[in-house]
Formats: sequence, structure tokens, C-alpha cells
Amino acid sequence: MISLLDIVGPVMVGPSSSHTAGACRLSRVARELLEEEPVEARFELHSAFAKTMRGHGTDRALVAGTLGMEVDDPRIKDALEIAKQQGLAYVLKPKNMGPDAHPNSVAIHLRGESCAISILGASTGGGMIEIREVDGFPVSLSAKDPCLLLFYEDRPGMVMRASEIIGRRGINIASMEVLRRGKGDQAFMRIDLDAPLPHEDVAALKGMPGVARVHVLDRVAGGAPIT
Amino acid sequence: MSLDSFSDLLAVAAETGRPLDEIFLAAEVAERGVPAPRVLETFLERWGIMKDSVRRGLAGGKSFSGLVGGDARKVMEFSRDGDIAGGRLVAKCIAYSIAVLEENSRMGIIVAAPTAGAAGMVPGTLLALSEERGIPDEKTARGLIVAGGFGAIVAGKAELSGAAGGCQAEQGVGAAMAAGALTFLLGGTPSMSVHAAALTLQNTLGLACDPVAGLVEVPCVVRNGFTAMLAVTGAQCALAGVESVIPMDEVVEAMVKIGEAMPRSLKETADGGLAMTPTGCRIRNQLYSIR
Repeated sequence: MISLLDIVGPVMVGPSSSHTAGACRLSRVARELLEEEPVEARFELHSAFAKTMRGHGTDRALVAGTLGMEVDDPRIKDALEIAKQQGLAYVLKPKNMGPDAHPNSVAIHLRGESCAISILGASTGGGMIEIREVDGFPVSLSAKDPCLLLFYEDRPGMVMRASEIIGRRGINIASMEVLRRGKGDQAFMRIDLDAPLPHEDVAALKGMPGVARVHVLDRVAGGAPIT
Repeated sequence: MSLDSFSDLLAVAAETGRPLDEIFLAAEVAERGVPAPRVLETFLERWGIMKDSVRRGLAGGKSFSGLVGGDARKVMEFSRDGDIAGGRLVAKCIAYSIAVLEENSRMGIIVAAPTAGAAGMVPGTLLALSEERGIPDEKTARGLIVAGGFGAIVAGKAELSGAAGGCQAEQGVGAAMAAGALTFLLGGTPSMSVHAAALTLQNTLGLACDPVAGLVEVPCVVRNGFTAMLAVTGAQCALAGVESVIPMDEVVEAMVKIGEAMPRSLKETADGGLAMTPTGCRIRNQLYSIR
């Protein structure tokens, strides 16, 4: 069952849970994945997201999330001005993603000083979100629970080595997904955890031979309170 | 024990004899691993923010567009014994529900329930009832748990957004949550609460999401006052013993199918309905300086 606190919640700045709060959370996820200060943001908005963008403050919310704001941050309404002050360049434009795309879909492309990331996500109502693509890999990610994303070179033993590092810490893996572009090509692992992984273990994952990058997402989109 | 449907919920209630708030609280504790006092504390905090949003809404001015604001206060000031609303409780339900949406339209802080555009009915009706009947916050927060539980069951089967399901999926569900919670707080049985929600939701089926100029203002703001009255009607009928012929789970299924059948123009795109009336178009063109 969905958490009661995701239904009576989030506590947020208006006016729309899907077009303001959800939008803010989607770009927060992109920012967390970038792991450095973004200097450039490009947003492509589909259907309902594009149609009511200004009225629902979707533009301000997407920029606010990119700047690291939470959904209840009163500065969301000034996010466009704050972006200018902080030197974040942004551009928003409508894009038809076809009849099968969720009406509240957005593609977010962020660039920092040294790296870049692209995600495709949808705002699925009441502030809940779903990430459907990370750098071209199809995923299914709600960002409610702690989660790790590993990009690495496809080779034997990677799943075992990663799960060993996590298991040693006594943290349970709730679910996982393993994908690759082709045999021996770039591969991707998504690992959902029951508790956040300490920094030293994340560093150990990053140090594994063949691992290009490891991203950590920890409850960007609500979920149950931390005990 | 699974709580994937309202029939599951009623089965658990019948089997254990426990009230709805305790069933939902236990489910949240079991699934989230968060202790019950922490969940209760969080609900009490959210209830405090909800009450604040009503107070700020009643005191506030116009929205950025200038289209809405000040109507909640008008309803409160007009309210007197013997008016058509028949007293303070009903007038407060309407005014408080509108107040939250007025605060929302100013980009103020609100608690989505289940969404921002439908955030008025749950706090509006629960605050009106708790003030008029002297219900303490700790008890009202338990009503909020029931509202959340009802919303969670629906959200497991339907996406709660105007873009996916039209306004029925937002304000219809918000009103159904409020109806279930009101019935609970007034001492109704679990079955009465579910009937209240079913009666309320079925009377919002087909409701379009056609916001003027794409703002969460017209018709959303006053509509929260109107759908609050549907929740009150649902609770009154259910407590009186009126039952929904169509079970709540099937009403939810009907809502999903109607949402799928609705054209995109009536699902939060501002491409149809009230948004495309001559006045709606004129307002949009003025706001965005479109010739």
C-alpha cells in the first residue's frame, strides 16, 4: 500500500502537486544524480506539462529543484531570479513525446563543470514521481527509498561484488535491476535498499574495477519519515 | 493482512473489530517500519500545517493572476444562523475548503490531500467539524489517518492527477477521503465510512479538469467548497443508513475507465471546457499577453 503520508502530503508550495511539487522533485533527482553544481539546465516538456507550465509554476519548480530546493521551500516562487543570480542558465521548451508518453513527462538535461546527466521522468499525481530513463537506460524509479545507480563495464562478477559490499554492512537489498547496452558494453545496475549505504561503502563501490560512476539517491520524493 | 481494496479493509475490520484509524495505522507501521508514535506525531504536525493554511487563506489577498482570493472570507462574513447554509458548520466547511485553495493559488504552503488542487476538502471539513463539535486535535489527526488510508487504497488503483483522470481523480477522491473521515469522526461504522466515500465519489464521476489559463484557480478554488458539501452529504447519508448500491471498489474502477475515456482536452491541458470559453480565452490572452 502507498504510504498514508504520501496521500496526506506532501507539505508543499502551491499551486499544483503534480505540476509544481512533482516537477521540483524530478529536477531534484537530476541534480542529485549530477553530484555537482549544475551550470546549465535544459527541460523538454510534454503534453499537459507544457500546456499549463506557466500557470502551475512548473518552470519555477523545475528550476527550483535544479537549484536543490525542497517542495516546501518558499523561494520556489523566486527560483527563476535566483537561478540568474547563481549563474544557472536554463531553457524550457515543449516537446511532443508521442501518444504513449505520460502527459506529465519531462526530459531534464543537466550539465555541471565536469559532467552531464539526462533523465526522463513523469509526475504521476499528488507529488509522486517516476523516473523512466537515466542516460538512455530504461528504469523504473520512484525515488522514495534509498537507491543506488551504477554505470559500469559489462563483465562477470559485478552483481556479486556489489551485493557483497552492501551485504557486509548488513543492509538489505529490496529490489534490483541489471541492464546493458550489449555484451561487454556499458551496463547499468539499479539497487533499492532498505536503509542508506554509508559513504565508505559507496566509495568501495566506486573503486570496483570497471565501475564508471555510482549515484546515490536517498528519499528525494518523500516516502515514510526516518525513524 | 492485505489492504489493497475497500473490501479487504472491511474484511479486516469485521474480523478484528478494530476501528479504521487503528487498522491504517498498523498497516503504515508494518509496511514502513516506522513506530506508531512517530506516525501519529507526523499526522499531528500535518494537521497543524493544514489549520495554518486555512487561517492564512482566510486572511490573504488575491492570487498572482488576480482571478481568485477573498471568497473564503466573504462566505465566513455572510454566515449567520438562519442563512441558507443553516448555521456555522456548513458555512465553515465551504469557507475553509476555499481558503486552503486560495492560499495554494498564492504559492503558499499547503498539505496536498490527495493533491494540491484538491487540498481543501479534507482540512476544510475536518476543521469545521472539530471546531463546532469541540473535537481535540489528537482525535482529528486520527480522522486524517482514515482520510489518508482511503486515499492510499484509491491511489493503488488509479493515478490521482487531473492529467491522467480529470478532476474526478483529484477533487472526487479528496471529497471521498473527507466523507470517510467525517463519518469516522462522527462515530459511524467502518462500513458507513466506506459507503460515505462511495456515495461521494460516484457523484463526481466525469468531472473535467479544465482550468482557465492553466491556473489552479478557476474553477478549482470555489470547487473545493462545492465538493466539500458533497463530502458532508455523503457522511450525512451514510450515517443515516443510506448505502451505495455500487461498492466503493467498483466506483473506483468506473472512475479509472471514465478517466481513460475522457479526451485530453479535459485533462489538465487547458484545451477545452471552461478554459476554452470566450471569457476563458480572453483571460488567458490577457495574462500571457497573447494577441
